Amino acid sequence: MSTIVKIAWRNIWRNITRSLVVIGAIIIGIWSIIFLVGMVNGMIESYIDNAIKNEVSHIKIHHPDFVMDRENQYFIPDIVTVKNSVDTISGVKAVSFKTITNAMIGSSHSSRGISAIGVVPKYEVNVSGVSQRILEGEYLSDKKKNRIIISKKTAEKLKVKLRSKVVLTFQNLENEITMGAFRVTGIFETGNNIYDESVVFVHQKDINSLLNINGNGHEVAILINDLSDLDRIQDRILKLFPDLLVRNYKEVQPELALFQSQIKMAGIIYMVIFMLALIFGIINTMMMAVLERVRELGMLMSVGMNKGKVFMMIVVETILLAIIAAPIGLLLGYVTTGYFNKNGINLFFYSEEGMKQFGFDKFIYPMVPTETYWQLVVAVSLTALLGSLYPAWKAVRLRPVEAIRGSFETRAGIMVSLVIFLRKKIRSIWT
Amino acid sequence: MDLIITKGITKIYNPKKIPVHALQGIDLTIKKGEFTAIVGPSGSGKTTLLNIIGGLDRQTEGTVLVDDTDIAELSDNKLIDFRKNKIGFVFQSYNLIPVFTAAENIGFIMLLQKRSRKEIETRVHNLLESVGIVAQKNKRPNQMSGGQQQRVAVARALASKPKFVLADEPTANLDSKSTTDLLDIMENLNKKEEMTFVFSTHDQRVIDRAHRVITIEDGRIVSDVKISD
Repeated sequence: MSTIVKIAWRNIWRNITRSLVVIGAIIIGIWSIIFLVGMVNGMIESYIDNAIKNEVSHIKIHHPDFVMDRENQYFIPDIVTVKNSVDTISGVKAVSFKTITNAMIGSSHSSRGISAIGVVPKYEVNVSGVSQRILEGEYLSDKKKNRIIISKKTAEKLKVKLRSKVVLTFQNLENEITMGAFRVTGIFETGNNIYDESVVFVHQKDINSLLNINGNGHEVAILINDLSDLDRIQDRILKLFPDLLVRNYKEVQPELALFQSQIKMAGIIYMVIFMLALIFGIINTMMMAVLERVRELGMLMSVGMNKGKVFMMIVVETILLAIIAAPIGLLLGYVTTGYFNKNGINLFFYSEEGMKQFGFDKFIYPMVPTETYWQLVVAVSLTALLGSLYPAWKAVRLRPVEAIRGSFETRAGIMVSLVIFLRKKIRSIWT
Repeated sequence: MDLIITKGITKIYNPKKIPVHALQGIDLTIKKGEFTAIVGPSGSGKTTLLNIIGGLDRQTEGTVLVDDTDIAELSDNKLIDFRKNKIGFVFQSYNLIPVFTAAENIGFIMLLQKRSRKEIETRVHNLLESVGIVAQKNKRPNQMSGGQQQRVAVARALASKPKFVLADEPTANLDSKSTTDLLDIMENLNKKEEMTFVFSTHDQRVIDRAHRVITIEDGRIVSDVKISD
């Protein structure tokens, strides 16, 4: 076997340009897949993280009918007790509760429909990331009454600024139209335009008194420490409150799971395309390598090298190319994703509005799980092995008596001879 | 001792389309220690005969006994082993492994025979000495002249300790000096080690040094002359 490896190794370097092309292709392929996987994971993470932090949380509790008809009457009675019970479950990071109602927000310039969300600031800051996304002013507090925070988009559309007054109009529990004046105390931007344009935040006490649902609320939002505990905690809450609707983030926003699976699928498709391209590249290169040394292969078989060894020689040659290229590609991928994982990639440079529209963060932080590197090692080895089989099979099909004269009997051999002949002619004209 | 015996060998190429009768009933016996040249014009069947004796090609009809073995009876794999252990080959265009040095080219077949490293080193050194290219032992084929490459090829053919060496037009690409040197080496090996050589050639310089000259025309032996010293 060492003789086979020795010949194969030296054969690689007898046509350095050709070998470097294959090695380069493998390196670029591996690097690009690692970077792509990193980007995809970073985007998924950013999208889901954004959605969970600002909008969905990990688990939500509602009155069962609230999800279908967002009517004020479908509240969770004594919501503070529910919050306190959930707080005692192990693995729960933070819990908040809120009142949610459809409303019209109006300024002296215009008005529009939104969801008014009444929050308890001291709980909400632990569950939602909105408090960290304040561009101007400050987040809500318990001190001042009738304060509102609105998004930058809403502020632009209503043409209001910090400290401007806006009026919220909605139906109370008795279906009577009620309204309240609120002063803008903060302007936020989560990075998700659709969400930003659809919500405003006020103190729960203020909105509950207008709605006449004091002590109650429409939603309990829960963050957990570890996603692997999601099902366990969800089940536990369900047991505690069997009459309430308890859903995890995938059930609240099924598009998150769909997005996750679709992007992962796209990553797999890219990997398969790369592998196919690589297989054909390897077959092409190794076929040329075999057919350029037909005479030599003929000699090896004449003097006693059996077909198994000839076959192995071609396979080992290809695998050695992969062994040289794979670590370089993996290292390049690791270094590149490591750098961008620390510094981030500014996606807004590409399309700020488009990215915001889809709920992506400004910066994507590529991340590649360790198993991806192992998967790539296996995939590239397998690709190299598969790519070498056809040329190796062609090599052992050569008949020594013909090969020794540098001729082939197969039709493919004739075609390749023609290609080699034409290539030599073109090269001689070129030089 | 009869080393090679052929009985009624025929070889027909393209038997179903346009048949070409390359050999038409060759009966031949070559004894151990002979220094034989097979001569004849181009297309007469010299190389075909050598290929069949060497087990590189199979005859259409007839029997080839090499060292008492009917090589037509051997499977492909056994035939490869048979070639590896019993026959040395020297080709017209040397056919050395370009990525190996002279010494590695010579030792390669012994590696296939799974000989020990020490045995290989000793034999390679002896062969390099006997063909006079010790100084070139670490050179690759592209760093050597045609004559030197063919000497390496002869040493490689002898490395496996074969029963005989088949050389297909070994001097065709060599100048006069290299041809004379090569023939000296082979004749010396023939005399000293009683190594059997069978050449196909139309080089008069080789024919002049051969101890037996078999002439083939149109696939038939037309003369078989033994030349005494």
